[in-house]
Amino acid sequence: MNNAVRPSPSPEAVKQAIHWSLRLRNNRANPKLRAQCADWREAHGDHELAWQRVQALQQELSGQLAAIPGAHAALENSAQGLGRRQALKVLSGVLLVGTAAWVSRDLTGWQRWTCDLATATGERRSVQLPDGTHLQLNTDSAVDLHFNPQQRLITLVRGEALVTCSAVRSTPLLVQTRHGLFEGIDGRFAVRQDSACTRLSVVSGNVAIHSPHGAKGLSTQVHAGESYLVRQTEAIPAAPLDMDIGAWADGLIVTRGMRLDAFLAEVGRYRHGYLGCSADIADLRLSGVFRLEDTDKLLAILPQTLPVQLRYRTRWWVSLDRSA
Amino acid sequence: MASSEYIPCESVVQTLYRTHHNWLNSWLRGCLGNAADAADLAQDTFVRLLQKTERFELKTPRAFLRTIARGLVIDHWRREEIERAYLESIAHLPEGLAPSAEARALVLELLEEVAQLLEGLKPKVRKAFLLAQCDGLTYKQIAQQMGVSLRSVERYVAQALYHCYVLRYET
Repeated sequence: MNNAVRPSPSPEAVKQAIHWSLRLRNNRANPKLRAQCADWREAHGDHELAWQRVQALQQELSGQLAAIPGAHAALENSAQGLGRRQALKVLSGVLLVGTAAWVSRDLTGWQRWTCDLATATGERRSVQLPDGTHLQLNTDSAVDLHFNPQQRLITLVRGEALVTCSAVRSTPLLVQTRHGLFEGIDGRFAVRQDSACTRLSVVSGNVAIHSPHGAKGLSTQVHAGESYLVRQTEAIPAAPLDMDIGAWADGLIVTRGMRLDAFLAEVGRYRHGYLGCSADIADLRLSGVFRLEDTDKLLAILPQTLPVQLRYRTRWWVSLDRSA
Repeated sequence: MASSEYIPCESVVQTLYRTHHNWLNSWLRGCLGNAADAADLAQDTFVRLLQKTERFELKTPRAFLRTIARGLVIDHWRREEIERAYLESIAHLPEGLAPSAEARALVLELLEEVAQLLEGLKPKVRKAFLLAQCDGLTYKQIAQQMGVSLRSVERYVAQALYHCYVLRYET
């Protein structure tokens, strides 16, 4: 798990991972297939790594592309257009690949492809770390782990993690995000990283925030039930959320008077594509316990309790508006 | 000359620049039919050269410069094609759904990245892949739409994913 160079999975393992991933995509509900796939993943370290990478790749591609209206047409037509231009103005008949292939590829964000642990959209994972700390990853999340006798550091690259740690040990348990450094002293806490800030919510026990700039060397102690928003320069107490922290770890969203638009934004984290509602229903309130397992089912029950209707433009483009 | 291998340090690039800049400029103008773009790409070619870290052969400097410039020309065309195709594809969207200028810029960047990944795929493979990834169609729907068997669709999508995987992780 350290930064040692890992050998790449064999082409065979990659192809199998793709095969499994596609089969599961088409038969999502088949428990036997899921079990077989899990067996395959466990059979060899290569399998798991190949699986993780294939998941990340698919997630990256479909998660982003599905949300863009016109993406398909743009990619298809531009590929044809480019082909035509290359054919017309043949540049000395050499195989035409962009410079990216050999000069600039290393300039793109590689870290997101090479994380130690990652989840795809809609996936959750639960892992026991070498020191006994329990780490749970929410949808579309990734961490790098740096565990050795000198340090216990979890770098949250994206998304949300729920950490359960116990008793004081000689080396502190640290969680790092783009916005700050958190030290789990004991208990259970959630760290959620968005583009603008990181939200720390302590479920039980104590966590210290060590903010590199804002705190000027001081750290903030956060206790059970408290939440903080941390940006690069500040750590401020946050109002309690209108949903339960970490309910996702049990596959649930539990809300109390949550705005519909906020609720949809939350559900949208667990599925691909666009999910939103018209402005006139955005502030309808929602209380209840919802299962995350199948978000299409979850959405389908909304019209039973709210005056809304669902509109599917494609499987990945869903909008809600006021029912007639 | 003792050796024809160079690490692209500044002085080597400067010499190349002095000797071949004009030639490269007019070669690019021939490709692009546009003096301003040609001047930009000629400049970029030398910038790329400075960023390279491996040694390179300098027996045929013009062929070498052309290789880099050619790649930049393709990048340039790809960007143009994507922008044209994307604007076309969103032209019919109702006003409320049309993306803002900033959103468009972000989308174009992403599409360019993906287009690069998909380059070299056979048209059928690309099509099946896009129907699955962008439109979220099931394999059955894709098979119907493309008039091919279910097995072929599976093979196409798997091929495309493998292609992308290799580009992402193994180059």
